[in-house]
Amino acid sequence: MGCSSSLPDRSTGRLGGLNVSESGGVADAKNLRVKLVLLGDSGVGKSCIVLRFVRGQFDPTSKVTIGASFLSQTIALQDSTTVKFEIWDTAGQERYAALAPLYYRGAAIAVIVYDITSPETFTKAQYWVKELQKHGSPDIVMALVANKADLHEKREVPTQDGIDYAEKNGMFFIETSAKTADNINQLFEEIGKRLPRPSST
Amino acid sequence: MKNLLLVMSNRDGYGFALRPQHIQRYREYANIFKEEEEERSYKWSYFIEQQQKSNHSSSSEEERRAKLQAEADELREETVSERVRQEDDSSDKNSDSDGSTKSYPGKEVQLSQQPEKKVQLSEEPENEVQRSEQPEKEVQLSEKPQKEVQLSEEPEKDLKLSEQPEKEVQLSEEPEKEVKLSEEPQKEVQASQIPGRETLLSKESDKEGQLLKETKARKVKSWSWTRPSLHVIENMMSSRVRNIKDLKDRHNTINGDHLPSIKKTVSSGGSTAVEINKELWIKETSDDNVDESTEESSVDCKLAPESFFPWKELEFLVHEGVPKDLRGEVWQAFVGVKTRRVERYYEGLLAEETNTEQSKEHNNSKAAPRKWKKQIEKDIPRTFPGHPALDERGRDSLRRVLVAYARHNPSVGYCQAMNFFAGLLLLLMPEENAFWTLVGILDDYFDGYYTEEMIESQVDQLVFEELIREKFPKLVNHLDYLGVQVAWISGPWFLSIFINMLPWESVLRVWDVVLFEGNRVMLFRTALALMELYGPALVTTKDAGDAITLLQSLAGSTFDSSQLVLTACMGYLAVTEARLLELREKHRPAVLVVVEERSKGGRIWKDSKGLASKLYSFKHDPGSLVKEKKVSEGDKSMLESHSSNLDDFLSGLSVDSEVDSLPDPQEHVISLFLLSLHCSAAFLNLMKVIHLMLDLCLKIHKYHPLVVWLKVELCRLMEEKRSAVLRAEELETALMEMVQQDNRRQLSAKVEQLEQEVADLRQVLADKKEQEAAMLKVLMRVEQEQKITEEARIGAEQDAAAQRYAVNVLQEKYEKAMASLGQMEQRVVMAESMLEATIQYQSGKAKALSSPRSVSSSVESPRRRIGLFGLGWRDRNKTRFLCNFGPITVDCNLPPISLTKTNQVMMILAPVNLAMRAKIRALCRKVETTKKRREEVMLGNSAPVAQEHTDLYRSDKESAWNSKSQLLAHKDKAM
Repeated sequence: MGCSSSLPDRSTGRLGGLNVSESGGVADAKNLRVKLVLLGDSGVGKSCIVLRFVRGQFDPTSKVTIGASFLSQTIALQDSTTVKFEIWDTAGQERYAALAPLYYRGAAIAVIVYDITSPETFTKAQYWVKELQKHGSPDIVMALVANKADLHEKREVPTQDGIDYAEKNGMFFIETSAKTADNINQLFEEIGKRLPRPSST
Repeated sequence: MKNLLLVMSNRDGYGFALRPQHIQRYREYANIFKEEEEERSYKWSYFIEQQQKSNHSSSSEEERRAKLQAEADELREETVSERVRQEDDSSDKNSDSDGSTKSYPGKEVQLSQQPEKKVQLSEEPENEVQRSEQPEKEVQLSEKPQKEVQLSEEPEKDLKLSEQPEKEVQLSEEPEKEVKLSEEPQKEVQASQIPGRETLLSKESDKEGQLLKETKARKVKSWSWTRPSLHVIENMMSSRVRNIKDLKDRHNTINGDHLPSIKKTVSSGGSTAVEINKELWIKETSDDNVDESTEESSVDCKLAPESFFPWKELEFLVHEGVPKDLRGEVWQAFVGVKTRRVERYYEGLLAEETNTEQSKEHNNSKAAPRKWKKQIEKDIPRTFPGHPALDERGRDSLRRVLVAYARHNPSVGYCQAMNFFAGLLLLLMPEENAFWTLVGILDDYFDGYYTEEMIESQVDQLVFEELIREKFPKLVNHLDYLGVQVAWISGPWFLSIFINMLPWESVLRVWDVVLFEGNRVMLFRTALALMELYGPALVTTKDAGDAITLLQSLAGSTFDSSQLVLTACMGYLAVTEARLLELREKHRPAVLVVVEERSKGGRIWKDSKGLASKLYSFKHDPGSLVKEKKVSEGDKSMLESHSSNLDDFLSGLSVDSEVDSLPDPQEHVISLFLLSLHCSAAFLNLMKVIHLMLDLCLKIHKYHPLVVWLKVELCRLMEEKRSAVLRAEELETALMEMVQQDNRRQLSAKVEQLEQEVADLRQVLADKKEQEAAMLKVLMRVEQEQKITEEARIGAEQDAAAQRYAVNVLQEKYEKAMASLGQMEQRVVMAESMLEATIQYQSGKAKALSSPRSVSSSVESPRRRIGLFGLGWRDRNKTRFLCNFGPITVDCNLPPISLTKTNQVMMILAPVNLAMRAKIRALCRKVETTKKRREEVMLGNSAPVAQEHTDLYRSDKESAWNSKSQLLAHKDKAM
């Protein structure tokens, strides 16, 4: 349970919040609200990515996440839209997959994380992609994240493998490092850009 | 511990890191915690004392024991102070032997208890009790048929006689233990206990050398007995443990396959003794009484008459919290560690490691343990990171406990969350005690919770959702509206038993009750209490993210642990184990279906399917069920899957309607109606099917258990039908209410709108009135001013008339004066002519005689001429005369009356003129002032009317001026 509370909301462009939609998005062209779920094997750094993104911190000895934990963060994109990410960081152990549908159901975005030093986690990531293709909402935006990019000397999963797999499955791919904060904000910005915008009528 | 506290201010009293935002609040509560702690330890010591007295007041042995207990306490204090000193010493030579005990409060206790073992040795009865209990466990593990007999006989002491053969093994171990124990006290007596223990440990490790190679022998002495004063509690709880075990064994022997309705099948077989026992248990569990354990305990008391035990009192104490220094042992007593413990079992599990590694290539089933091992390795540094007790050695202990548990119960293995439980237990007790406590918690209290499929955990979430819907409909409505599912938050709460979710003081208090009650009721109660405490705040949130964040952070700052525990225990007495069992039975099938489909990976199960389509498939399922059934009768798993499939849809009634939070109440309404309609129809179908199957089975197979099971299933389904019908009715009424509420809401909205409009109109009206009043005021003022000017004008006119009149009078007078002047001139002419005649006459005479008199008259005559001349001049300059009322030189010859008359006129005219001037001046001033006022009015209230008025007024003024000038002109003319 790495994190069970969130920072005071930094968002400026807050919504009225009255429009709730099941797909996790909100019908306001300028202020989006999306449900994001992080999936991936245990210890690939899901909680660390979230903590880095939301609080700008990195703790090499973060706690084990039990069940899931929630944090939210708002970012502003270049086209002056704001996106409030409601992030569900799920537990990594295999058996917790039984609970995952509870969290990925209705999510607009799924971020699937693996560890570049462990081919096993890459296999697990592929399992999650299949699972979401089967059971997730059909228009879910998926991102494949290769974490721990700072440990490149221990790399065992080539970047190209990730790119190829992501391309084949219509996903967005990025290599990150929660430790060095490399590409973390870019990850979320890119996701924000890829979100389906509600048609402003 | 104390100096640790001093060093780390951002850690709480248990050495756990505090979140920065909570440090302040923790400090506020720290004193309260301290006070509570003091009160607690007093109450507990009093309670324990009382127990000892009341139970064995006559026994001198007890007194001795109590004395020894006191000694032990003293000894412990010494040890502690000694340890503090040792810890201060940076070069800690003893660290090797002291080992993992260094910062474990539990270990301190352990040390203090060595003298107790002396007592145990000397006290034969005590040992006997222990021995009599241990064989039970042995038996349970080996699962010998005899155990039924054994377990049915409750009074423990009788066991000795009936179980002599079994005990042989046990007894052969016994001497060993006695040797151990006899050694220990000796070492303990030595001033410094640590070296003593070292030697002891080395001896032990020699004994068990081959087992302990892997785990570095020095720390295996990791078991301690609880202090004798707690044995009363321990014994009571142990009997509970036996009850549970008994029940479980029954299940296992009778139905090796895991049917969902385990409980009911039991009635079909088994010895009578067990039957009675079981019935007692069922009675307890189904009893809606306030507290399970009290009920249970009363039964226990009957069975074990040796101890009458005040359960209520203990329960009360537990609700108030267990004192820190007793907690580890009391927990063990609650879990029944003593009863559970099997000598050398733990060491045996650890020793398996070598075997595993040797035989891994030809044993595939060992792959799983390796997986667990890997996961455990990953998680160990992530368990309470930075906690001072979890240093290298603490982590080794943690690893061993987790690995041992994974081997002990391979159906569970290792699941994340256990690392926290084991970590917590290791902070409170020695390693093996922690292991057995963990075994108790996971195998009994949380059976099925952390297995590969986590079925019970999912079931509990559905149960909790139902409960929360029942208790807090408003809150759940709001959460539905926001699209928040309660299970998102409550899931992690339950799975972690609130560790890392609440402040530590609260976690421990909840654990106290959980372990005392021996089931998961407290989880539900605590979660409900949290919802009660924070529901009002949650209702104010505006989006899903805010609601979840708020609940998480509020729960994380629940420092008032007493409030939480008391709210949970007092406020939700209706949430009992029996109720939960019922609800779990109801919701389990739904979970099983999902799990099965997941494992099959076949049909794509999508939640996005609407309720209607689910109902459709459900309606058509029973038909196919019959066909399938005919093809493969007796295939139990098939039947089970289908019946549970059905159950899924039934419980979908409550679950899915909640999950797919329909935004439109109308849609909800329709689907609910559909659901309630279809439910009963489907049930009838199903009933038929089951009857059919029943007949078939009876005819063809006469397969008893299946029939029984089917009967049970039928009963269950009927029951469920009843509950479903009830639920449907409930929903219907809820629906009606909803509709009504909706109408009411609409109407009230309309009324509100109208009211708003009326209010607006009133406001406008009031504004208009005000304006009107203002205008009227202005008008009045203007009118007044008009009046004033009118009056002024009239006054001026009157004045003018008066002046005109005066002018007329003057003219008349002037004419008269002129006339009299003319007369006077005539008279003067006459007089002159007369005078000339006289002069001529006199000159004629004077020629004759010149007399002096004539001189004087000649002198007199020029004067007259002058006078006459003067008069003529005056006549010619009439206007000038009038203008300057200068002195008139009138000849003395002029008649005095006429002179005075002119003067009189002049004198009259002069004041009149003056007065008129003054009046005109006054008029002018008045006009001026009114003009000023008008201007003021105009500035203040520039209404067109006012403008008009001013114009009017101006014209008035002008006319007044005109009249004045006319008057003047007139006067001039008149003059």
